[in-house]
Amino acid sequence: MWDSVENFFGSGIVYDLTNYFFFTYGIILLCLYFAGVLLASRAIRRTKRRATFLQVGDIVSATDIPSVTLVAPAFNEGLTIIENVKSLLSIQYPYYELILVNDGSKDDSMEKLIREFDLEQHDASFISQPIPTASVRHIYRSKNKKYTHLTVIDKNNGGRADALNTGINFATTELVVCTDADCIIEQDALLKMVRPYLEENKEEIIACGGGIGIANDSIVKNGVLKELRLPNSIVPMVQVVEYIRAFLLGRMAWGEVNGLMLVSGAFGMYPRKRLLEVGGFDNKTVGEDLELCIRLRTHMENLGKPYKVVYLPETLCWTEGPPDYSILVKQRDRWARGLWETMSINKKLFFNPKYRFMGLFYYPYWLFFEFGAPLVEFFGLICIIAFGLFGWINWPVAILLFFAIYLLGCIFSTAAIFMYVKSFDHYTRPKQIIELLLAAYLEPFVYHPVIVFGQMKGYYKKLFGIKSGWGTMTRKGFKVSET
Amino acid sequence: MNEISLLFFIKILVLLLVVCWISIGVSMFYRRIRTSRLALIEATFADLVSRYLYNDPANPLSVQQINDRLKKTGIRPANRNNVQYLISLMIRTQRSISGSNFTKLQKLYGMIPPYGVSIKKISSWNWYRQARGIREIYEMNQVHYLDEVLKYRNDKNIYVRREAQIAMVVFLGWESLRFLPYLKWNMTLWQQIKVVEKLYDFYPQPDLKWLQKVYGTERSFAKRLLMRIIRKFELQSEVEFIMKHLADEDYEVRETAIYCINTFSVSSASMAYIKNEYDKIPDATQKLQLMNYIYENSNMDPEFYLEKLYGPNEDIKLNVAQILWNNGYKEKVQEFYMQQFPKSSLYVG
Repeated sequence: MWDSVENFFGSGIVYDLTNYFFFTYGIILLCLYFAGVLLASRAIRRTKRRATFLQVGDIVSATDIPSVTLVAPAFNEGLTIIENVKSLLSIQYPYYELILVNDGSKDDSMEKLIREFDLEQHDASFISQPIPTASVRHIYRSKNKKYTHLTVIDKNNGGRADALNTGINFATTELVVCTDADCIIEQDALLKMVRPYLEENKEEIIACGGGIGIANDSIVKNGVLKELRLPNSIVPMVQVVEYIRAFLLGRMAWGEVNGLMLVSGAFGMYPRKRLLEVGGFDNKTVGEDLELCIRLRTHMENLGKPYKVVYLPETLCWTEGPPDYSILVKQRDRWARGLWETMSINKKLFFNPKYRFMGLFYYPYWLFFEFGAPLVEFFGLICIIAFGLFGWINWPVAILLFFAIYLLGCIFSTAAIFMYVKSFDHYTRPKQIIELLLAAYLEPFVYHPVIVFGQMKGYYKKLFGIKSGWGTMTRKGFKVSET
Repeated sequence: MNEISLLFFIKILVLLLVVCWISIGVSMFYRRIRTSRLALIEATFADLVSRYLYNDPANPLSVQQINDRLKKTGIRPANRNNVQYLISLMIRTQRSISGSNFTKLQKLYGMIPPYGVSIKKISSWNWYRQARGIREIYEMNQVHYLDEVLKYRNDKNIYVRREAQIAMVVFLGWESLRFLPYLKWNMTLWQQIKVVEKLYDFYPQPDLKWLQKVYGTERSFAKRLLMRIIRKFELQSEVEFIMKHLADEDYEVRETAIYCINTFSVSSASMAYIKNEYDKIPDATQKLQLMNYIYENSNMDPEFYLEKLYGPNEDIKLNVAQILWNNGYKEKVQEFYMQQFPKSSLYVG
């Protein structure tokens, strides 16, 4: 057929194959996104309707609702720890415990906590640890009646997953919420999160997540988000759109088909019983939230019990996104490594009919379109350069195609913003909407390439075995209002 | 794909983008108009209700005036959303009022526009409208629609049947429990909670004959509901029903039984029965929960705990060790843990 390498390349087969690959990949992704918009809009409407019959006010006054423990790990957060704990303590829920896990902080976090909350040391020798963790130094409880639902665990450093596991061990409630000490949680978040568990019918709810929003440059007072503002700089501004799109379209759509494989580590609720059964978070991976969710699902599949992972469309937790490119790259590098590790740990799921839809569809989706997307983009870039050098590219068509794809991206982002504006009242002023739309339209040029770079950096580290942990996430902190 | 077809595709995409922009604009504009309309309805309704309840003899408010003012704010049959909002305001107001004013309010509700809207909803094909209609009927205490509502107690939609079951409790009280064994579908935790809450709010005086009639039910949800009722009403005489289910074969039933028994303190004979049931529970976490109840509600029984100290589960052993340690049996705990170490002598050097 081809008697030389030149002939092989000259025959156009490489060019055709590459084109067909990108075209097929793009079309499948486009169809999935389009289906996502339809499913998400149905899910949002249905969730809102269901909420009519289970109002927050009714839950507050009800007895017999499940008790909840919120576990918040903290490491060297002395600067903001008091404000953060006060914020977490003010969450409304009738049967609520807060466990703050000091994960071997080297700063003055513990001293500050002891002083501010009047903490008293308690004996920890008879506390059972169903999930093995780094050793616990002391347990503290407050002498002040105002803070009876606060427990502080002081332990040796073992990482975020290890700290969460310690909190899960010590919790005695039916449900456990895992979050970060520096997140601002909406006052009624737990009342809303518990809804799916109250309405649980044939399928057991094994995890529930809520929307997470970016609140850089917003005003915080007494640990409560007083005024939500759009960030001043472009990096966190684009993240606002990215999060809206991911949570409102992506998560809601996957939730509608019970295909959710991830409940964000920043805010997720789980039944403690199931967490203990699977051994809690895996502290060997930096993508512990994704790994846990997949493990929980696998566990339920193995047990042969019907289950569900659900997401609520409302933003219930506010966090500070990376404020600049260097921190963003570090974050995405870590996420990419976490994804790599999780995909690798769970490779047995790949097209495995034993795990039904998860094995045949959801896992392969994650592998091809979440894990594979940066690789495909990177490969695409190389192809453009190479084909351009060979003179194989019809530039007018390529530019038009690029513009069409760009418009498609803009449409999906605009649809997400529309659904958010229609459903929630966080961003109501025309100026805010215009800023969000502009950020969405700038995203492919000023943001997306940086993300791909961060992801490829993460993959590179995994490929060549370069050791890397969580990395330092420097944050500016929220604006605190004194008045 | 050539340039012409691509250009056509781009035109379609631009059009779609423009449609999205228009949708955002319309949505924002509608929200603004709607918010002000709802505020107007709320203010008008609040004013009318306060004036009706505390009527000024010098300037009495007639029903005609009330209806005219409501009509002016947009409460017309054609404006279904406005009427719906008025209904939600009526329900909210009724919940916060009691005594003679409650009766006056009921009378007012019988004379103003939305009356009759709720019953029309329950024949709708849409589950959301049906369930809302039933909810409005029981919230507004329209007991004469009981027969229509009862038909939906086994509806295939969970929200419709849940609201119908709650309506059943609101209208029939304790007697409604007789339907319990015949419900076709499982009851969610929230359904059970709502039933118990409504029973407690509307019929605080227990009528045990209806409760006892359904003790023989085999339905898991029914057993759980009955135990929750016993707990909520603190029916000490019925605790035996809860005790009988502490070692039930169904996990959820056991869970509820252990949760409910915590509300009661029992006689020593009953405690002996509970201790006996303890060994039959297959789940370690539930055993731990029941052990804590036994510890907190009975005299120290070292034999019971020592037996558990040598059991197979590590968490239970740790819990037992703590109980014994804190109650003067330190040497027993030490003895147990010393046995864990190998008996061989230790050679150093």
